[in-house]
Amino acid sequence: MRLSTRKLLDKSFSACAILAVMLLTAFLLFVLTPLVVRGIGAYVFKGTVEYRRMMFDQFDRGNEDDLKLEIAASAVCRKPIYDAINAFEQELESMPRAKRKELKPVFRIVREELSELLGPEPGKPLPALTRMLYGQTRWQRAKVWRDRVLYEESWDYSDEASDGKKVFVPRRPLFEGTALLPLFDCVENNLPQIMNPRITFYGRFLTDKSIDAHFFGGIGPEVLGTIYLALGAMLIAVPLGVIAAIYFQEYAQEGVVMTFLRSCVNTLAGVPSVVFGLFGLAFFINTMKVSQGKSVLAGALTLALLVLPTVIRASEEAIAAVPRAYKEAALALGAGQWRTVLTVILPAALPGILTGVVISMGRAAGETAPIIFTAAVSVGKMVGPLKMLSSPTPALSWNLYNICTEHEAVDEIRHVQYGMALTLVVLVLALNLTAILIRARVSRRLKG
Amino acid sequence: MKKSLLLVGLIAGVMTVNAEQKLVMDGSTTVGPIAKAFAEYYMRENPGVNITVSESGSGNGAKALLNGSCDIANLSRDLKDAEKAAMKEKGVEPCKHVVAFDALPVIVHPSNRVKGLTIDQVRDIYTGKITNWKEVGGSDRKIVVISRDTNSGTFETFMHLVMGEDAKIKESAEYTGSNGAVRQRVQMTKGAIGYAGLGFVDRSVKPLSINGIEPSADTVVDKTYPLARELYMFTKGTPAKGSLVEKFLDLMKTEKGEEIVEEIGFVPLGAK
Repeated sequence: MRLSTRKLLDKSFSACAILAVMLLTAFLLFVLTPLVVRGIGAYVFKGTVEYRRMMFDQFDRGNEDDLKLEIAASAVCRKPIYDAINAFEQELESMPRAKRKELKPVFRIVREELSELLGPEPGKPLPALTRMLYGQTRWQRAKVWRDRVLYEESWDYSDEASDGKKVFVPRRPLFEGTALLPLFDCVENNLPQIMNPRITFYGRFLTDKSIDAHFFGGIGPEVLGTIYLALGAMLIAVPLGVIAAIYFQEYAQEGVVMTFLRSCVNTLAGVPSVVFGLFGLAFFINTMKVSQGKSVLAGALTLALLVLPTVIRASEEAIAAVPRAYKEAALALGAGQWRTVLTVILPAALPGILTGVVISMGRAAGETAPIIFTAAVSVGKMVGPLKMLSSPTPALSWNLYNICTEHEAVDEIRHVQYGMALTLVVLVLALNLTAILIRARVSRRLKG
Repeated sequence: MKKSLLLVGLIAGVMTVNAEQKLVMDGSTTVGPIAKAFAEYYMRENPGVNITVSESGSGNGAKALLNGSCDIANLSRDLKDAEKAAMKEKGVEPCKHVVAFDALPVIVHPSNRVKGLTIDQVRDIYTGKITNWKEVGGSDRKIVVISRDTNSGTFETFMHLVMGEDAKIKESAEYTGSNGAVRQRVQMTKGAIGYAGLGFVDRSVKPLSINGIEPSADTVVDKTYPLARELYMFTKGTPAKGSLVEKFLDLMKTEKGEEIVEEIGFVPLGAK
């Protein structure tokens, strides 16, 4: 080959590589940016007076005197709205029948949207669901509901040839000349005074319990459940995996049986996680009856099986990397094989094993399929460590799926969805970072 | 060594300390919101109780009740004969409690100009006889058929009320795992048609009138809307007097319970 051709080939390969890396980075940014930006929205956002009222009622947080003043100030701004409603209700009685029939249903809807925005009307009986006791707690959502009060979202089907189009019809003109008019002006112009939005840090989103199916509160039970499951899985998988690795490396004789066992471990690593989930249900819960139904124990056992091959392989590699001289020196000094393994090989291999363990832990924390049938529930209390073995638990991965698809009001709790996703990603990232740090320390130690 | 000691200690601890009362619920995704709201309400009133709710579908709920892995099975349909037989064989006596009434609104994308269908048209769409919206008065667009999975009680009810004994859903239909997923699929797809529980229908989708009747609490109560059903919670045998299960199930007969059901969007038992 001519030199110039070789150089050209070389260059085109580097170009391809750079392109691939750039694509990867772009994709990563594309995925992570919205996740991070919106996920942070669960922790830092503009909270309204309704948020502070909710936090005080439900979590006993905030200064009572300040809150009272704030609510009073907000009530003053809200007064024209409720005055308009009361005045219009009376006006409605004296209206001609046709007009009343036209306005009454719209009035009812306006009132419903308004109580979503501001919370229940003063003097009315309180609703049973916590989510309806408060208006919009987040300024961003408050603006959405303001528009729902002011405009009717309807669909225009007049163009015969195509689909309907979304149109926003202002409600104000319908009520021109009636007593309800101040309501629209007030909602349109005075909402910032009414809601008093303020930048709010909600760090305890991470540890708070959820209130009323994630409408308020945080993701504490999910975080705790994920930690239980991941730790529990490692507690089971690490002893098993390390012992197996020692056996493979130090004790077993190479042969047909070993090859078979090794390929079994490799196959185990390739089994889809949902198969583990179903196996866990059939074996641990239905056959072994480790618990009455779903439980952290059953979930941890299933996850342990899932990460076992990774732990075995990482440990094997770490053990194989221990210099032969260490072992030979120990044996020469008269130590038995067991003693050599315990006092020389394992300590030297420990950092490598730990790296594998931490990475597997990240995997266990993020897996969904194995825990659907064995451990995860959509509602449950934070369980104490004593009860965790027999009770099921919410967990980040499964509940993220649950509140994104099965929840009855998906659009109202977007911030929780993104917050949960970000928390899970950060948790796994942090675990992997720990693994990298451990590895860095090891290589430094080996060099020195 | 320490770790294993800790583990033994934990297991021993679990076996001896069990002061907290537990109630496990599993089953329908339709009954899910009601169960979740009841559970949170009950736990707030009785702090010593831990209630867990999973939403894995009516079929799984019935199985869990049979296996003894749940105390209350939420079902959006009645028990099937096969399930009853299996329970009888295992000596489980299922006890039915009606929680709420529900309609099965047939939903489409709001841009769809079709306002209503007859039951026959819905059946023809699901069997694949009608494949384009223009055949039922809409614009020229292919119909995307969304159904619940076969594990779902909502699916069974739909089959029973709409499809009848021998009609089969066409093969190209999409099956989704929950009510929420059906709604999301429909709100994102212009030609889609689907069905879900009353509590799941919001402004992002358009419920169709069936045989000229709009699905609503009123039409469910006066029994004019044809796709209506009851939602159930099943227990193993009649709950013992004073037991946690009994106290919990009593909630739905109280005014507070009915209010919760209504606020979620279903029709409470006492609705007139």
